[in-house]
Amino acid sequence: MPPSRSSRNSLQSVDLRALDYLSSPSANLLCPICHSPLITPVQTRCLHTFCSACISLSLERSLTCPVDRKPLSHDDVTPAPIMIANLVNDLVVLCPNREKGCNTSCARWLVESHVREDCGYAMVKCAKEGCDGMVERRESEGECVHEEVECNFCQGVVRKLDFESHHNECPKLSSDCRHCSESFPNPELPAHQLNCPAEVIDCAASHFGCSYSSRRSELDEHLSHCHFVALTPILQLHTERIDTLELENKAIRQKLDLLVPPRPLPSQSSAATSSDPTDSSAARDMTSEMQDYTYHLYSEYEQLRSDVERLNAQIRELDVKQDMARINEGLRYNDEMTGVRAAINGLRMQLHWLVASRRDTVTGGGGAGAGGPRSVAGSSVSGDGRRMSDSARQVVKL
Amino acid sequence: MAAVKRITKELAEFSNNPVPGVSAGLASEENVFKWNVILTGPPGSPYSGGVFTLNLTLPQEYPFKPPTLNFTTKIYHPNVSNDEKGSMCLGILRSDSWKPSCKIAQVLEMAAGLLKEPNVDDAVETSIADEYKNSPDSFEKTAREWTRKYAK
Repeated sequence: MPPSRSSRNSLQSVDLRALDYLSSPSANLLCPICHSPLITPVQTRCLHTFCSACISLSLERSLTCPVDRKPLSHDDVTPAPIMIANLVNDLVVLCPNREKGCNTSCARWLVESHVREDCGYAMVKCAKEGCDGMVERRESEGECVHEEVECNFCQGVVRKLDFESHHNECPKLSSDCRHCSESFPNPELPAHQLNCPAEVIDCAASHFGCSYSSRRSELDEHLSHCHFVALTPILQLHTERIDTLELENKAIRQKLDLLVPPRPLPSQSSAATSSDPTDSSAARDMTSEMQDYTYHLYSEYEQLRSDVERLNAQIRELDVKQDMARINEGLRYNDEMTGVRAAINGLRMQLHWLVASRRDTVTGGGGAGAGGPRSVAGSSVSGDGRRMSDSARQVVKL
Repeated sequence: MAAVKRITKELAEFSNNPVPGVSAGLASEENVFKWNVILTGPPGSPYSGGVFTLNLTLPQEYPFKPPTLNFTTKIYHPNVSNDEKGSMCLGILRSDSWKPSCKIAQVLEMAAGLLKEPNVDDAVETSIADEYKNSPDSFEKTAREWTRKYAK
């Protein structure tokens, strides 16, 4: 009878929070509490969105919204709009069995069914009836690996799954030691090899420089008179001290690099020439003097730098002030200019009026002709002109 | 477990986008709840040129409870307690004003900001705060001196 569909389903549960996403999702889809893409999104009365599990955890501790700290109760939490749930459920995730070798990636809402029904690397119940073992799905089609078989050598009963590893443990099988070529039962071999008297090993103080090596059985004699071994405690102590000093030195150097930008000192070359072995004490004096000098220089440099910074700030302030003053001045001039312009315009109007009224009075009777456009005669003349131009246009057309 | 996941995420984010003037990392690889932080004194402040080390401790209940910040370098500052604990008083670090949506990066940014400009309304060392308010010159002098003495 073929196994029913349900019996082939994997019982492996999927932790949605532990999933890896194919591409990093938009920050808008992250829960403010766990900073992962929302899982079962819910919405609060103040319109913030969280994972359902995260907000319940938060409400257990404090009845406020984790974003704006407005009072909030369990009743104020409702499922988020379906669109948000769909957006997060559609994010593409990698199969949780990726480390075992599954290369599948799918939408998040499909990943549970993928693991339950399809993933070749998910653990499923063994296909054989009556067997309670678990096996990866891709291997479940073959014969049951939980069947017990008898070992040919020890007549013990082992599961097929463990048959290979049993060979290394079977008490009836024996192998040869790598060092002494003697034969031992498999279960005892590892213990023997750790202590085989025929193995060639280095002196216990080899890391301090002893180059002696011999069979384990003969090494004791060497150890009793090896100088390196005798010195080991003190050498050990020194190594430890050197290690701590190195660590300290490293920390100090980091600090120094932060404080002092790495650059050559101008006086370094003179120090190098003066530090010849003939007058080392003088050189030492010189170095300490130079250190003082360097320190002094640096403090001065720091001071100058802060001075320059202050001056810069002042200059900027002055600039701003000046700009403001200029703008104010400009505005004032502009106002004045518009005032003057208005006055000129007024004068011009008055002038026009004066000129017109004067012309009227000067021309007197002939004023009717001069004021042409308003008179009947003028209009007839202009009418003729228009007609003439019309006929001219017709001529052109013909 | 959720806390570990979020903290690892924040650590990765912080190393990708570090806050200027702040460097931070785990104190030891196996414990994500303890961070080492180094602040460099901002130029223009009395702490300029100083290097301050801090411990950032995250509670097991993170992010529902706030982290704590302790200066291990002595510092003359109104918002840092002048004892061996060196705890920093930061508004958002008080449990009644902490929000789970706050990130460690924001906390560190605010800590760096406090070096630039102390917050006298939130002071733990009231005497230093008074000095900062009333005689800023003498405050600056002491702060500078302490920086040279302890933070170089």
